[in-house]
Amino acid sequence: MTTATGPRLSRRINELVFLAFCWTATAIAILFLAAILWSLLSQGVGGLDLNIFTKSTPAPGSEGGLINAILGSLMMCVVAMIGAVFVGILAGTWLSEYARDSHYGKVIRFLNDVLLSAPSILVGLFVYEILVAPVKGFSGLAGAVALGLLAAPVITRTTEDVLRLQPTALREASVALGAPVWRTILAVIWKSARGGMLTGALLAFARISGETAPLLFTALNNQFLSFDLTKPTANLPVVIFNFALSAYDDWRRLAWAGALLIAATVLTVTIVARILAREPRRS
Amino acid sequence: MNVQVETPQETAVLALPPEVVKLAIKDLNFFYGQKQSLFDVSVSFGANAVTALIGPSGCGKSTLLRTLNRIYSLYPGQKATGQVLLDGEDVLGSRVNVAALRARIGMVFQKPTPFPMSIFDNVAYGVRLYEKLGKADLANRVEDSLRRAALWDEVKDKLKESGLSLSGGQQQRLCVARGIAVKPEVLLLDEPASALDPISTARLEETIAELKRDYTIVIVTHNMGQAARLSDHTGFMYLGKLVEFGETEQLFTNPVTTRARDYITGRFG
Repeated sequence: MTTATGPRLSRRINELVFLAFCWTATAIAILFLAAILWSLLSQGVGGLDLNIFTKSTPAPGSEGGLINAILGSLMMCVVAMIGAVFVGILAGTWLSEYARDSHYGKVIRFLNDVLLSAPSILVGLFVYEILVAPVKGFSGLAGAVALGLLAAPVITRTTEDVLRLQPTALREASVALGAPVWRTILAVIWKSARGGMLTGALLAFARISGETAPLLFTALNNQFLSFDLTKPTANLPVVIFNFALSAYDDWRRLAWAGALLIAATVLTVTIVARILAREPRRS
Repeated sequence: MNVQVETPQETAVLALPPEVVKLAIKDLNFFYGQKQSLFDVSVSFGANAVTALIGPSGCGKSTLLRTLNRIYSLYPGQKATGQVLLDGEDVLGSRVNVAALRARIGMVFQKPTPFPMSIFDNVAYGVRLYEKLGKADLANRVEDSLRRAALWDEVKDKLKESGLSLSGGQQQRLCVARGIAVKPEVLLLDEPASALDPISTARLEETIAELKRDYTIVIVTHNMGQAARLSDHTGFMYLGKLVEFGETEQLFTNPVTTRARDYITGRFG
């Protein structure tokens, strides 16, 4: 026996159960995120003072900061990004504009996707084998190369994706005026896609700024402030790794402060990327 | 008794006198990969005249237009055979410099496609590709092109603003201005008014009528009224074939072929 309300009621119950399930899952995810941010803030803010930005990492028990690690990280990331942006944008452009449906293009696209999801520790080990072991010396340059190898596939992928979104009509309009394809890409397509391309680069930067594993094998660490990238170079992730596991309270406090710095940087960069991606486009 | 039943012709293509022909198409076949979409099209377009191409969707009129400036050759799977003679020179030949060819044959597309740059730079873009003009000369060229496209009065105070900030109708006239700024000989218009409101369409039509004095214009349109108003000659296409081509007035009032008659009187299409 079915009443008129029977099926409707069960449908509403299904709907509610499903909704409750989604809410719970979302709540769990947010809870963990909040917990992480809370522990970062509560433990990290205490360690933040002017010394962080003026002094190098200390010996246990003495006063110190993180300036050597901050600058080392910054230098390596900048060098890595210069190389990765160069390679990534050209590769992404090639995939989108020249090799879209070609067999060769598909192979390269697949390999790039593999590289995109390769564990970063493997990339570190690879760079160790080719740039550290042969010269028997860790270096900031090797660290930058490892980070660049992680960033390049991200930029390649995002560049290809945003270029593919550009309307065919825009390409044809430029070509129809007598512009060669390369000029069309430089003057029209890149210009039209620049917000998205910049977003991709910023996301790649956010990704590499917290990478630890590849730097353990390559840049290692340096107790002193150094601008020489051919020498071992201090960096925030490795300092955090070393200090957080140590038995000294002041080291652990610095580790938390460093973690907070990285999180704040990534957050800022991600927000900027979001804003750029939303670039108003009137049509 | 001899009763003569007039059997309508299958195809009827008017041949223009050679001295007025700007573009002549001979035995043109077109292929999208394996699929053939134009069949043995032969027709001539007169200099300083507007030729309209009409026909139901998918009949090949846009494809025909896209062979004339070889824009199709951007795509590896597309291929044309036959001849397209611009002043007697075959543009489908393998030795032709396609970029230079496209500077001689301008094109305006269905949807407005302003480049992401200022109004001034939009118009100057094509000019800068082929000519080294001084600042003043370039500014004159831009102004002249915008005037001819009937857009100057609306944009003269904001040339530095983005081309994307204009309305749809203004954007389309900007594209016309951009096309004529490079001083082409032929202008191809692919349903240029299909995305515009009636007022913008009327202004664009005025512009086209005005441009006829200097250019050979070929316009693809779905709007029969537009074809009738604007063109000197009209070609009716169906299933990849040119069925009828002739004086616009004659084609619209007294078509020779059954297909054209059915289409124009609204029996199909």
